Amino acid sequence: MRYQPVIGLEIHCELLTNSKVFCTCQNEFGGSENTRVCPRCSGMPGTLPLLNQGAVRLAAKAGFATNCTVNGYSSFDRKNYFYPDLPKAYQITQFEHPICTDGHIDVAGGKRIRINRIHIEEDAGKLVHDDYEGVSLADYNRCGVPLIEIVTEPDFRSAEEVQDFVTQIAQRLKYAGVCDARMEQGSLRVDVNISIMPFGSEEFGTRAEIKNLNSVKSIGRAIEYEIQRQSEILDGGGKVVQETRRYNENRDDTKPLRSKEEAHDYRYFPEPDIPPVLLSEEDIEAIRKEMPELPHERSKRYTEEYGLPADDASLLTAQKEFSDFYDEAAASEPEYRMISNLMLGEVSHLLNETGSDITEVKFSPAELAKTAKLAADGTVSKGAAKEIVSIMFKDGGDPRRIAQEHGFIMDTDASGLDEVIDKVLAENADAAEKYKNGNAKLFGFIMGQAIKACGKSANPALIKEALNKKLQ
Amino acid sequence: MDLCELRKKLDGGDIGAVELTKEYLDRIKRFDGEINSYITVCEAEAIAQAEAAQQVIDKGGSKPMTGIPLSVKDNICTNGVRTTCASRMLEDHIPIYDASAVSRLKNENFVMLGKTNMDEFAMGGSSQTSYFGGPKNPYNTGYVTGGSSGGAAASVAAGLCAAALGSDTGGSVRQPSAFCGVTGLKPTYGTVSRWGLIAFASSLDQIGVCALSAADAGYVLNSICGRDCNDATTSPIPSGGYTSAVGSDISGIRIGVPKEFLDGSTDEVKAAVLEAAEYYRSLGCTVKECSLPSLEYAVSAYYLISSAEAASNLSRFDGIKYGHRSGLGEDYNELIKSSRSEGFGREVKRRIMLGNYALCSGYYDAYYNNARRIRTQIRKEYADIFSECDVILTPTAPSPAYRIGVQENDPVKMYQADICTVTVNIAGLPAISTTCGYSAEGMPIGMSLIGRAFDEKTIIAVCDRFERDHERRECVL
Ligand SMILES: [Zn+2]
Repeated sequence: MRYQPVIGLEIHCELLTNSKVFCTCQNEFGGSENTRVCPRCSGMPGTLPLLNQGAVRLAAKAGFATNCTVNGYSSFDRKNYFYPDLPKAYQITQFEHPICTDGHIDVAGGKRIRINRIHIEEDAGKLVHDDYEGVSLADYNRCGVPLIEIVTEPDFRSAEEVQDFVTQIAQRLKYAGVCDARMEQGSLRVDVNISIMPFGSEEFGTRAEIKNLNSVKSIGRAIEYEIQRQSEILDGGGKVVQETRRYNENRDDTKPLRSKEEAHDYRYFPEPDIPPVLLSEEDIEAIRKEMPELPHERSKRYTEEYGLPADDASLLTAQKEFSDFYDEAAASEPEYRMISNLMLGEVSHLLNETGSDITEVKFSPAELAKTAKLAADGTVSKGAAKEIVSIMFKDGGDPRRIAQEHGFIMDTDASGLDEVIDKVLAENADAAEKYKNGNAKLFGFIMGQAIKACGKSANPALIKEALNKKLQ
Repeated sequence: MDLCELRKKLDGGDIGAVELTKEYLDRIKRFDGEINSYITVCEAEAIAQAEAAQQVIDKGGSKPMTGIPLSVKDNICTNGVRTTCASRMLEDHIPIYDASAVSRLKNENFVMLGKTNMDEFAMGGSSQTSYFGGPKNPYNTGYVTGGSSGGAAASVAAGLCAAALGSDTGGSVRQPSAFCGVTGLKPTYGTVSRWGLIAFASSLDQIGVCALSAADAGYVLNSICGRDCNDATTSPIPSGGYTSAVGSDISGIRIGVPKEFLDGSTDEVKAAVLEAAEYYRSLGCTVKECSLPSLEYAVSAYYLISSAEAASNLSRFDGIKYGHRSGLGEDYNELIKSSRSEGFGREVKRRIMLGNYALCSGYYDAYYNNARRIRTQIRKEYADIFSECDVILTPTAPSPAYRIGVQENDPVKMYQADICTVTVNIAGLPAISTTCGYSAEGMPIGMSLIGRAFDEKTIIAVCDRFERDHERRECVL
């Protein structure tokens, strides 16, 4: 039997603050164990948390990036459980009054995914198990790293919707400077809650929670695996168990982590050490004003104002720096389409080939725009424009000068062209004859030969015109 | 001699800071074997601090607390000096930082004589739950000191320090001060930073002062109060000047006496408090009966809130990072279990169980949430009283100090004894306790004056006036 999956997400994102959320230790990735630890984040007796206001602002920005309401009143709670990577034996989080509520993002196909809440919390440390020595060691560097948790409603019905949503969240948070969204480093972590039900049913099945998904690809594969696994259980007359499962990338399967029977009662209660976070309407407005244009907004501008195809617009906006580069180029020369073609074509190709980033290229957005203009106004051919980009990519330089030095400037007078074309037609008399007899396909071949014969400054438009005349 | 006078004598060279400290250290050696008010005495450190203080005094740069020898309750962190909370769990715990209150005193070159005995993790009203054995009442060593700051109050009463820092979660400064015949001040919540105070119940805890007089308590509070960026719950309002109204005319002050507080008190206590009310009336104060109807729920609400917070606050003591670590346990769960089983005493375990129970998902609404509602109600009832009164007069405890060993096995009776003090913490108000009489057995009886939030000045002045006209009996050691 085929089933309908029902999926909801919990996404943890590390905030890009300089310091941790409740102390002044640096907030960084990596480094040797227990080097970014102080009495506060290691939970020494008598210490108290100190709320990082930067974390509050970033959480609010995450709210704006996802169409949430940013609440004027939010507060912290304690989530109590014992684990050696949690020095205070409670996690400070927002349970009763989260900072953001009621948001949404539209995924491909136009479907709206509702976001229940975004709250601020602290990360735990890490346990390192040394099987050889038979000991477990605690590294508290990550303790107190500021996180937001984005909780969606169970609105997803396919892996593709989930993947699009996660991609959009990652892009938007990066744009807003909230999170660097590096899934492989764990700065954006997705937990998938998934159940299945017969198509047409209204009643959700028992769900499993899948953890340890560190790429958009893994999310898709884990969901497919889980749909398969749960379907087989139901088809065999069994029952899905509510449990937490871990996705294994190498085996491409999920295995139970802990079942609900062992689940904790977290005994939440209001955190008495941190007064409620009060944001006035002016505070909230001031944070909203700091919001940059988000990728979906940019994409819309590119299609509506610049007339770019939707696919191109979304490719351009996938990375903020890439899109910033495009915006700057487009601002210097209004050759929107040509600049886009060069960026998505030659520039992307070269970046991929060299494994480098748009922020490292040797030419400026204005120089790229100039190249596009040269191609657009017929000074150089489109093919030459690509070559100019390639040269600038390698060594930098002014596009017009490169065009001149390399003889890319197209001939604009037809004098002398006749002679060359006559020679080409003579050398390819056979093909010319066949074309005249109706083999239209051969025009391209003859055209190619003519361009080759004219060299770098070949002007395809003029050649075509001359050929057409002579082959009539 | 009060602290103001001591200051003058130190600055005038009549008394040397080192001599003074040595005198106290000497008394501690002579008497504290019996009283057991100190867990740790810092002899060498105290003398070194006194020497440093003398240098400051000699240069004419003294501040109010320079060279003044205090004791500090053993749940207040002191850099390099072990801070045990009177628990096996922290028997060898040496903090790497000073509590804010202590560092403010250090900035004024005070002298710390040592760390005082208390109920384990401040949970109790007799100080008998101390892992190091309970302190004894200087008025009669067969009697309890009260608690949890029993060591602090006893150290002041016995003349083993000039004044003491304690902490008050539900009466822990005021009640032992009453039992030991000294003055105990619990400031408004948010007046003294809790940074470095090892938390019992974070929303109720406040560092306070035990001293020989209301003026002395205010004098010490001046040096430790104020906003602290390390404690987000400190208020920007407190700014010292707590003794500025001392000696002013208090006639016209309106004193409310809530009837519910007297109902459960012994006849001796009731008589002493009513006599104090008469005294104030004779000075021209208005004394009127008032009411705090929710008092009957206060003890339950207090124990639910404080135990819930304590259960969470004490969870960090897992034997992994610091504190007692058991030799038993194959995995981390077992290790945490056995470390906590061995490290905590009975009363602490009882509160942890109670607190966790109150927070469990099935009971949260019935217990914890109801307690929160009562808290809101008590605050409102206090606000009502303060719309017609300036100060509220109550007994500090329903009875004077009792014999050691009497109430130990009846926790409910012990808890009920906190009825006179807990509402002040629940409402976050300031209160001061002083001696208003003596029982037939010769034990001090305490009364409390409760003030409006951040109005310590008034209760100190009103308390001071009473103390001037009523002589304190010295205890004979
Ligand atoms: Zn830290």
